[in-house]
Amino acid sequence: MAELIDYLQFVLAPQALNGLSLGVAVVLMALGLTIIFGLLDVINMAHGEFYAMGAFLALTLAGLGVGFWALLVLVPLLMLPIGWLAERWLIERVFHSRDRHILTLLLTFGLGMILEDVLKLVYGPNTLRPDNPIEGGTEILGMFLPNYRLFLIGFGLALIAVVWLVVFRTGLGAMVRAAAFDKDMASSLGVPVRRVYAGTFAFGVALAALSGVLLAPIYSVFPTMGRDFILMAFTVVIVGGMGSIQGAVIAGLLLTQVQALSSLYISPVWSDPLVFGIMVLVLMVRPQGLFGRLGHA
Amino acid sequence: MHEATTLRTLSDPGRAGPASRLSRLAPVHWLALAFLAVALGFAAVAWATGNGFYLRLATEALIFAGLAMSVDLLLGYTGLLSLGQALYFGLGAYVSALVLRDVSPSFWLAMGAALLSGVLAGLIGGVIANRVKGVYFALITFGLAQVAAKSVYNTHALGASDGLIGIPQIQVGFGPFSLDTADPLSFFLLVLALTVAAYAGLAYLMDAPFGRTLAAIRANERRVPFLGFNAWRYKLAVYVLAACVAALAGALYPMLRGFVSPELMFFETSGNAVITVIVGGVGTLVGPVVGSLLLTALRSVVGSWTEHHLIVVGVIFMLSVIFLRKGLVGALLARLSRRNGQGRSTP
Repeated sequence: MAELIDYLQFVLAPQALNGLSLGVAVVLMALGLTIIFGLLDVINMAHGEFYAMGAFLALTLAGLGVGFWALLVLVPLLMLPIGWLAERWLIERVFHSRDRHILTLLLTFGLGMILEDVLKLVYGPNTLRPDNPIEGGTEILGMFLPNYRLFLIGFGLALIAVVWLVVFRTGLGAMVRAAAFDKDMASSLGVPVRRVYAGTFAFGVALAALSGVLLAPIYSVFPTMGRDFILMAFTVVIVGGMGSIQGAVIAGLLLTQVQALSSLYISPVWSDPLVFGIMVLVLMVRPQGLFGRLGHA
Repeated sequence: MHEATTLRTLSDPGRAGPASRLSRLAPVHWLALAFLAVALGFAAVAWATGNGFYLRLATEALIFAGLAMSVDLLLGYTGLLSLGQALYFGLGAYVSALVLRDVSPSFWLAMGAALLSGVLAGLIGGVIANRVKGVYFALITFGLAQVAAKSVYNTHALGASDGLIGIPQIQVGFGPFSLDTADPLSFFLLVLALTVAAYAGLAYLMDAPFGRTLAAIRANERRVPFLGFNAWRYKLAVYVLAACVAALAGALYPMLRGFVSPELMFFETSGNAVITVIVGGVGTLVGPVVGSLLLTALRSVVGSWTEHHLIVVGVIFMLSVIFLRKGLVGALLARLSRRNGQGRSTP
């Protein structure tokens, strides 16, 4: 019995908490992806690069002397216009085509490719390590936890709650949901659908950038940092149901736990195939995912 | 992509008018012939100047053109976007490498084994992927390729992240003749001949009832059953066909480079194939070949003065998606048919 408790306390629990801190960051990424898909039907392949942009932007601003707390506000604000323009200049051009699913996917894929190379051009291909903004650690139940991870979990969960509130409890969110459900009807009721589209895309981009800021002190910053992370976020969005907010939250927390805990039993290099295997299985059995999409729930 | 149907009507041999057999050849095939002439001219010049490097580069471009053609079969003719076609390309490459290294250095055995693996894996992948449609199809093919690529990457027996090296150079026998893969010119001509054969065979098939049914599926899948066709079977068939084309193209890779690596299966390879098809011309089969050669040339030119060629390729790709929905070949064909005074007819 004592052995079991030790095992829970010193093996499982730290791993689960690590998984949780990764989980909230993945959920933030996935929320942006899923809201964009739920409203615009766009698979944003450039989401990982927007995440990387957020991290690099934070690094640059920190170099100019901007404090960490200001970064949490400033970086998403700076990314909003970029997301807005990306929607206006690129997505909207092909939005009314019959193949808009495929065309928007291709466009954002190209955009991601360009952004990644621009980051390489500006910052070089090397890995950068920002300072840890919250030093030290706390002992909880005999486990030592870095303070920054605790902050990440708390802040991330609060942010998820804010997103949920905005989407489901404000007039703005009602407009977004109405446009997702029936854009023509919403438009005739006076919802500025085009602006809602651009605004939502920008919001998703800002969320991705914010997760970049948050994760930069834990994982290092490099131009291709978005690649592996975006795969996880895609899997989360698919498993949770594309366009579903609660799906992204639940699947995000669940899948990162699967990844974290499975790495105790199988070699961590196999956790990627495992997670993608789950993604393929869900797509086969229940392609709409576990939960319904935005505006339809 | 409704222009595709327009173009295909324009290129219908029955409509092209007067008697002589050559003039009845569709414009897109003329383009293919012109391309073949350019390729042979290039080979002659490269051979005369003894430039093995560019011959090998061109050979590689043709091999990746095979992969791009397989993407085109799915995207251009059937309307299915595969983001994981590198899975079959890499599979063919690994099977071929294993056969050549461990079983027997026989070209035909390696190609046969790659074809067989393409059929089997294509059947499995096709049954899985064809459960879903549209954007979910793109994602499931992506997921399948990721699982396979990461598994190969983790398997020590397959060389893990290093891949397999030391694939011998071989003699390719055709009855009394044989050629050496170590010789850049003969191997280039062999791959060129295979590419032409693949183009001719696939173009014929796409003009046959099989291809017409695929076009019908792309135009409106729900109506196809009412015409008495089982759309699922056709989609599975074209998926397996595309897997075979990709696997055969992949099988040539280790003969050229002497090694295979897991990168061949990664998303980058699949993504590049999609870019090639879009830039070259969706639904033309020549487009992927032209696109592959142009992009390879572009990468090598741009790559000689900057390592940031992705920006250039990305911009060209995005411009193609927005302005040239049918790629370079499609734009060229549209211009040709306009000059010939043929109006745009709706099918």
